[in-house]
Amino acid sequence: MSRSPGRKQENHKISRELFVLTYGALVAQLCKEYEKDEDVNACLDRMGYSIGIRLIDDFLARSAVKKCRSYSETADMIAQVAFKMYLGVTPSVSCNSVTGNKFSLILDKNPLVDFVEELPAERASLCYCNLLCGVIRGALEMVHLAAEVSFLQDRLKGDAVTEIGITFLRKPEDRKHRRN
Amino acid sequence: SRQCGLLCSQNYPLYIRSVPTENELKFHYTVHTSLDVVDEKISAMGKALVDQRELYLGLLYPTEDYKVYGYVTNSKVKFVMVVDSSNTALRDNEIRSMFRKLHNSYTDIMCNPFYNPGDRIHSRAFDTMVNSMMMQVC
Repeated sequence: MSRSPGRKQENHKISRELFVLTYGALVAQLCKEYEKDEDVNACLDRMGYSIGIRLIDDFLARSAVKKCRSYSETADMIAQVAFKMYLGVTPSVSCNSVTGNKFSLILDKNPLVDFVEELPAERASLCYCNLLCGVIRGALEMVHLAAEVSFLQDRLKGDAVTEIGITFLRKPEDRKHRRN
Repeated sequence: SRQCGLLCSQNYPLYIRSVPTENELKFHYTVHTSLDVVDEKISAMGKALVDQRELYLGLLYPTEDYKVYGYVTNSKVKFVMVVDSSNTALRDNEIRSMFRKLHNSYTDIMCNPFYNPGDRIHSRAFDTMVNSMMMQVC
């Protein structure tokens, strides 16, 4: 996996522990600054969005993938290429609707929660990995795909699996094109 | 009945577990006084210890009922293990590896972003590990 020529490619590896601890410190700090879980979740989402709009270019340069022709291809791309590239895990993808615009990524392993056993009692609604939702949303927006991304299930909250839901939103322009 | 127990402490206990729970008070007393012995042993060994990364202190002192083992990390966290004197099958390297497992589990707890150093330890994973260890020993 190399970037397009002209960009210096140095594959420095950074320790996984450092990354996971940094993320944990970020969430813990936000929990100190915001009383409500919803505020922390929103903040994580905003940060993720800010990362996503930038990360997409790195992703496209490194993966040299062709344009996805369907929402289904896009969801597969996110799970099998992007997640693998950045987090080293490959969630499984399933389609949730007949309209073909709702997908679920089921995360079997999630490195971000390596050291978190469970959420503190006073933080029951915290979406610990909400940053990921923002990243996906931001990245998709930069390739002109509007989507809602959120955690549908979370092992940290006691659910059986960790599930990220992606709902691709049809833009008004799409309907215009279809008429022709 | 066999008894064994474990204490994980900095200057005050972060985690105490004993099995079975009768005679708990006497057991807690033994465990607390062991901390003083740990401190004594550390200062007695002096400079030699500073160079080592982990400090397995071995058998701290035998009483007629118990054998007490100690271990200190380079971050000054003390682990004390109390085992029934009647348990003669337990070997030194087994104790050493148990302490190392405890140390690793403690490190995992430290990495939990919601755990504040100095808090009492409430962790299912730690409990599970300690339980299985105690079943081995008791």
